[in-house]
Amino acid sequence: MTASTEPVALLSGVSKSYRLDDVRVPVLDGIDLLVRPGQFTVLLGPSGSGKTTLLNLIGCIDRPDAGQVVVAGQDVGPLSDDLLADFRARHIGFIFQNFNLLPVLSAYENIEYPMLLAGLGARTRGERAARLLRAVGLAEHGAKLPGQLSGGQRQRVAIARALGLRPRLVIADEPTANLDSRTGEAILALMRDMQRRWQISFLFSSHDRNVIRAADDTIKLRDGAIQGIRRRDPAPAAEAAAEAADTLPGEGRP
Amino acid sequence: MIDLLLAARNLLRNRRRSFAALFALALGAAAILLFGGYRANIEYTMLTAYVRDGGHLQVQHRDFFLYGSGNPTLYGIADYAALIEAIRADEQLRGLVAVATPKLQFGGIASNFEADVSRPVAGLALVPADQRRLREWNEFGVAESAQQFTLEGAPADGAVIGTGVARVLQLCAPLRVADCPTPQRQPEAPADPGEAIAADIAALAARAAPAASPAASPAAAAGGPPRIELLAATAGGAPNVVSLQVMKAERQGFKEVDEIFLLMQLAQAQRLVYGRAPPRATAIVVQVERTAQIPQVAQRLHELIARSAPQQPLAVLDFRQLNPFFVQTVQMFDTIFAFVFALMAIIVLFTVGHAMSTSVTERTVEIGTVRAMGLRRSGVQRLFVIEGALLGAVGALAGVVAAVLIATVVNALGLTWLPPGSGHPLPLQLMLQGQGPLIAGTALGLFAIAVASAWWPAYRASRLVIVDALRHV
Repeated sequence: MTASTEPVALLSGVSKSYRLDDVRVPVLDGIDLLVRPGQFTVLLGPSGSGKTTLLNLIGCIDRPDAGQVVVAGQDVGPLSDDLLADFRARHIGFIFQNFNLLPVLSAYENIEYPMLLAGLGARTRGERAARLLRAVGLAEHGAKLPGQLSGGQRQRVAIARALGLRPRLVIADEPTANLDSRTGEAILALMRDMQRRWQISFLFSSHDRNVIRAADDTIKLRDGAIQGIRRRDPAPAAEAAAEAADTLPGEGRP
Repeated sequence: MIDLLLAARNLLRNRRRSFAALFALALGAAAILLFGGYRANIEYTMLTAYVRDGGHLQVQHRDFFLYGSGNPTLYGIADYAALIEAIRADEQLRGLVAVATPKLQFGGIASNFEADVSRPVAGLALVPADQRRLREWNEFGVAESAQQFTLEGAPADGAVIGTGVARVLQLCAPLRVADCPTPQRQPEAPADPGEAIAADIAALAARAAPAASPAASPAAAAGGPPRIELLAATAGGAPNVVSLQVMKAERQGFKEVDEIFLLMQLAQAQRLVYGRAPPRATAIVVQVERTAQIPQVAQRLHELIARSAPQQPLAVLDFRQLNPFFVQTVQMFDTIFAFVFALMAIIVLFTVGHAMSTSVTERTVEIGTVRAMGLRRSGVQRLFVIEGALLGAVGALAGVVAAVLIATVVNALGLTWLPPGSGHPLPLQLMLQGQGPLIAGTALGLFAIAVASAWWPAYRASRLVIVDALRHV
């Protein structure tokens, strides 16, 4: 597998504000940002700094007031609502702070659901969902409903669900915030492992020091503007890509 | 398939709410169907009664229906037997016409000489064997009431009168008419003109038919049927009288009819009205095998009339034209049915709509999640509409099953009721067998309403802003 060097997200002059009653509250102001592919990138900043809004824009679930957002090489601004939904299904995975699993679907079905939306065949879905369940250590829990799983197990299912369609980018908003520290560390290790194995770009917002320590790139936000970016050498990720080929014969990704 | 699975599981997720919506749907469907079955029973019972009495179609003088009540015999059909024979022998009508028989309506005055009373009556004369065959018709399988008396097998001068006629002629005792108290007369009442008329009629009867007119009282006293005298004007305007044996007094549905009803045999009535002149009939009653064949038979009757009796101004009227009360009753029940349906539809609309709206509110975060994962707006809308459709399908099906069970129980109880215009209590039936269009229409209608109820909440769900939905608490 050849690791792409194309930025997974490229933002130019992005601004976003929200209306609070009659007042417009600016959240992001003229953001220019490049998110490198295959990296573990963390957004840092105090509450209200615009982390979640930035994640939403890069995750294509919100649109900027001004500026351009390019994700996986696609300028998403001109895309219609339906095309943007299709784009998200193909290229972006989501991991939420509250897991957001569909409560009426089993762990297996939750992982399979995005693949169903994307129209994958039953055999492919089945193989991928089973492999992902094994990868997140829940091979024995596939039939359980989310309500029958612990918080950590639910987040593992959410990670597997986010990876089912081999996205270019996984957006994770405070993925360890609702977990105890030990489970949080385990989840973080799992995500790091997935990212290294399959060269998937992860973009987090987090206050968790463990997450920050594990990051390749760290982006600091304050008052809707980027205060600083720290980038680490990407070499380890390239090594991990070679491991992935052994782990998943015939596919480079889940 | 996944949408259906999700919809079904989401419905089961909040069982109480889903059950409430299902209950409203099933209740609505059952109420509509049971009332529809009751309405159908009324319509078919009345239709059957009218068709048994007067057929589906009648060939009449074109003015008889509007003017015949004044002097029915003026509008008689000449050579009616040839026309009936043409109808019976017609190849195109073979297998369509069950009975074709003459009928004579006339006016007269009936009297009980012994009691010195008389009263005007509306005479109806039929061929007894044909009357029995008319009454065998039961296309819609309505539950049979007590068999009505027919004149078949009765003496040639046998007659049936309404209980109102029997009451006025003071024949309640010999005819065993219940609820018939003896009237208390005014002590200083002027001479009853009916007494003089009764005496005149009796004298005429004694001269006209001495052999057939023994004194009424001896026959009744001997335990035989009581006799009355019937005076009528012949077609030529001369008075004529006949003595009749009253075989039975039968209650008619309307008091006004009950007090003038007299049924006798056609041959006897024709002798009374037409004397030695060629007999006529005021109508040819045509009963068809199936009601839906009326237009086809009517069309053919017009052709036969044009061929067999071109010189006579005859018309073909169907039972709806002849019995406006039937049409009005059916229309009234149709209106009530529509009202019941509308009421149930509104209940279903709001119950399902409320259930779906609550569901959308509760699942806002899920909606945001699946939208983020790439489900289009239309996909979200589809999810909720399918839930409404599932509710509608299961609720309507449950309602149909409940209605069939309730109808089966009610029909087995053997309850009776007295419909308006009927002289006999009829079995209370909730007629759902053979009501495919009613059942399918009700089920599909409520299904459509359930889907429509879900549409707006589903649309609202599809328009949710993803980031707002994900933030929803």
